[in-house]
Amino acid sequence: MVQLNSQYGREENPSESRKVRVIGVGGAGSNILDRAMLDGIDRVELATANTDVQSLTGSVTNQKIQLGRNLTRGLGSGGDPELGLAAAEESRDEIQAAIAGYDIIFVCAGLGGGTGSGAAPFIAKLAKDAGALVLALVTMPFTFEGRRRCAQAAASLQLIREHADAVICFENDRMAELTLPRMGIHEAFAAADVTISQSIRAVANLLLQPGLIRLGFDDICAVIREGDARALFGFGDAEGENRAHDALVKALRNPLMNRGEMLASAVNVIVQIRGAANVTLGEIGNVMEELNRHISDRTQLMMGIAIDSSMGSRLSVSIISSLGGNPERSVKAGYLALQEPEQFEPAPTATMVVPEPEIRLIDEPSANGQKAVASPILVEALRSKEPLNLESGEDAGSKKEVVQAGKSASKAPPKKIEAKQEVLQFDAVSRGRFEKSEPTIIDGQDLDVPAFLRRRVNVN
Amino acid sequence: MARDNIFAGLEIGTTKVCVVVAEARHDNTLKILGVGNAPSRGIRKGEIVDFETAKRCVHDAVVDAEERSDVEISEVYLGISGGHIRSFNNRGVVVLEEGREEIDEQDLEDVRTNAREVSLPMEDCVLHTIIQHYYVDGQDGVLNPLGLFGKKLEADFHIVYGIRTRIQNAIRCVKELELETADVVINSFATAQAVLDKNYKQLGALVIDIGGGTTDFVVYVEGAVKQSGVISVGGDHITNDLSIGLKIPSARAEKLKIEEGDVTLGNSFPGETIVLRDETGFAGREIERETLNQIIHCRVREIFEIVQRQVEGDQNLNYLGAGVFVTGGSSQLRGIEHLASEVFGMPARTTAPLPLAGVTSAFEHPQFSTAIGLVRYAHLVHLDRPMTRGILSRTMKRLSGIFRT
Repeated sequence: MVQLNSQYGREENPSESRKVRVIGVGGAGSNILDRAMLDGIDRVELATANTDVQSLTGSVTNQKIQLGRNLTRGLGSGGDPELGLAAAEESRDEIQAAIAGYDIIFVCAGLGGGTGSGAAPFIAKLAKDAGALVLALVTMPFTFEGRRRCAQAAASLQLIREHADAVICFENDRMAELTLPRMGIHEAFAAADVTISQSIRAVANLLLQPGLIRLGFDDICAVIREGDARALFGFGDAEGENRAHDALVKALRNPLMNRGEMLASAVNVIVQIRGAANVTLGEIGNVMEELNRHISDRTQLMMGIAIDSSMGSRLSVSIISSLGGNPERSVKAGYLALQEPEQFEPAPTATMVVPEPEIRLIDEPSANGQKAVASPILVEALRSKEPLNLESGEDAGSKKEVVQAGKSASKAPPKKIEAKQEVLQFDAVSRGRFEKSEPTIIDGQDLDVPAFLRRRVNVN
Repeated sequence: MARDNIFAGLEIGTTKVCVVVAEARHDNTLKILGVGNAPSRGIRKGEIVDFETAKRCVHDAVVDAEERSDVEISEVYLGISGGHIRSFNNRGVVVLEEGREEIDEQDLEDVRTNAREVSLPMEDCVLHTIIQHYYVDGQDGVLNPLGLFGKKLEADFHIVYGIRTRIQNAIRCVKELELETADVVINSFATAQAVLDKNYKQLGALVIDIGGGTTDFVVYVEGAVKQSGVISVGGDHITNDLSIGLKIPSARAEKLKIEEGDVTLGNSFPGETIVLRDETGFAGREIERETLNQIIHCRVREIFEIVQRQVEGDQNLNYLGAGVFVTGGSSQLRGIEHLASEVFGMPARTTAPLPLAGVTSAFEHPQFSTAIGLVRYAHLVHLDRPMTRGILSRTMKRLSGIFRT
């Protein structure tokens, strides 16, 4: 147990040094933060930026930035993104002051209106320029809000994607689809806010919590960048005898998950299991096995386990993924990773958790390759920050034994090999009868390759 | 052709070669005398890839048309398509010399020449210079400047060009069959003549002709061609996608597409399947209907989205009062008009050629839009002739230009 403590001591350092700031932009952005604040969020500093003073004063966050003090005189931006952008530009100094010194910045906004659509890309850009890792969490408007707002939102999303390292995009439509139509509009929006605030917390926890099996920002980036930014997110916690099962069911019951059905089309899935030191291997095995039923053979699972003494007898499961990923890429990435499995993070020593690093040994290399593909610089940055992780590679000796013991572990690897073969086969015939004809290339895409393959639609 | 009021249009398509023979009647209407048809081979993506085979197909279609119409064809209006065809809009300017103030035919000719004087790549040649608008001394809305007083004549033109050698291939194919080419017309322009009447052109319309190997589109705004283009993706690609996605032979995929294909998602019962039968009628594999539709949906949506991107570059879509017209063989896919309407955000319909007199009922079918459009185009040129005498000589000049290598 002495070793266990020292282990935590070492883990705390890098996470403490990583400062996280969440900025809510516009009306929807500050609503999300209010919700996050109410639900309780620690180790993360919140700030609200808005043109509308009334909404700003109503916000419960500590730091508030009024955008466009002279331009809008404390009124809103009237749904005009250009005004929102101009207001943000006017307040450039204040924004820069608010983001200076933070390593990771979340930008939360509801796109479609003026301030959110206009200012959020600008703030993301400032944050990126300041050298921080930028993760944007945005909502897309309901279709019934009109074509104009949808178009503004789409344009803004495009801009944000250029600046942010990763974007998680919540479609209000999709969230509403799964709630009852007779639910009030206020409730529908609130439901969206809850989901987003949960995801902020989950992502923040992923980044900051010392984990036995740590997942980093790069893992999240890899998962989210893979798809077309439609995020899948689920969070659930439970206590009691059957807490592992209950937490997973809760997570899958999240509106964005559609009872796990949406997971079938995801390519990469991050799952983090949090609990106090009393989490058992059996519980983790249960969660992973059940989750495996919901995902397709080609899906890559990245598992993280965090030990948080404040959880008490509760156990929580967070699932993050995105729709529309490209199976080919992830499998190739996995293949690359097999050649350089060098980054191992935790070195747990408590008896109860000894087997888990092996699960990671099998699972992690692919995640590692993901990083190499998605953001090599990022990987370098994180590696240099966590030199202590490399030493756990020694555990490899006990690998065999665990493969037999941990069911979920032995399941995962053969699946990946299957997927690889299938995809390669696809590659060879993908142009079919147009193999020998002059290729039709428009906007950089070879149109002779079936559209459903290029659009990553899973047709089986 | 003995009489100069009989026209023949020839479309060398990827799926079929089609010849339409029509007669202009005294009341300025057109009567179809006969339509000849032959399945085509040796043609990919709207262009000839096997000359001899393609020539035989064209021959079959011409003979078929001659038999049905009882007319000996000597001259055809030839439809041209292919991914090499490009277009742009350009303005020509002519300033009248001192002492002359009335705009004459020579000025119209000069302004056209002026607009065409842009540097095209060496291998390209201009196919069409289509007038959009005239301006006299900066004044907008001049329909016909001939005889007007002014100092400066400007005109906007839509200029269509393509690679000379590829256009020559089709012309040579016709020439070797002892036929003359009266004019070459891009398919999209011909199709528009078949499916749009004056009113639609004035209101503004987008015509999308999804054929076997290519998708040709043209935008009309205020009666003038605003934009046109060719994407070498068509029904063959849908078939190919199905063949790859469902792992079935091409011929089977083609049949499945025609018999069962639908572009609407979520239109089938969950788990609803289609049983594939082999030639002997035995039940074989089962295919989920939603999978089939999804593959088709992806491809068709992509085609529409590419058209939308190319058209939206010019912000034209806001002016289209009449909406989107989808035609061509692939427009027979079920639900395609709803998808078009969804992608373009305006009313869309699938459409066959506008009715004409004659033995037409069998040919009022989307897949004959281009061929019938060709004779309509010929008819329009014919009606215009007294006014613009130059058009024939221009055509001859252009053809000789194409042949001059």
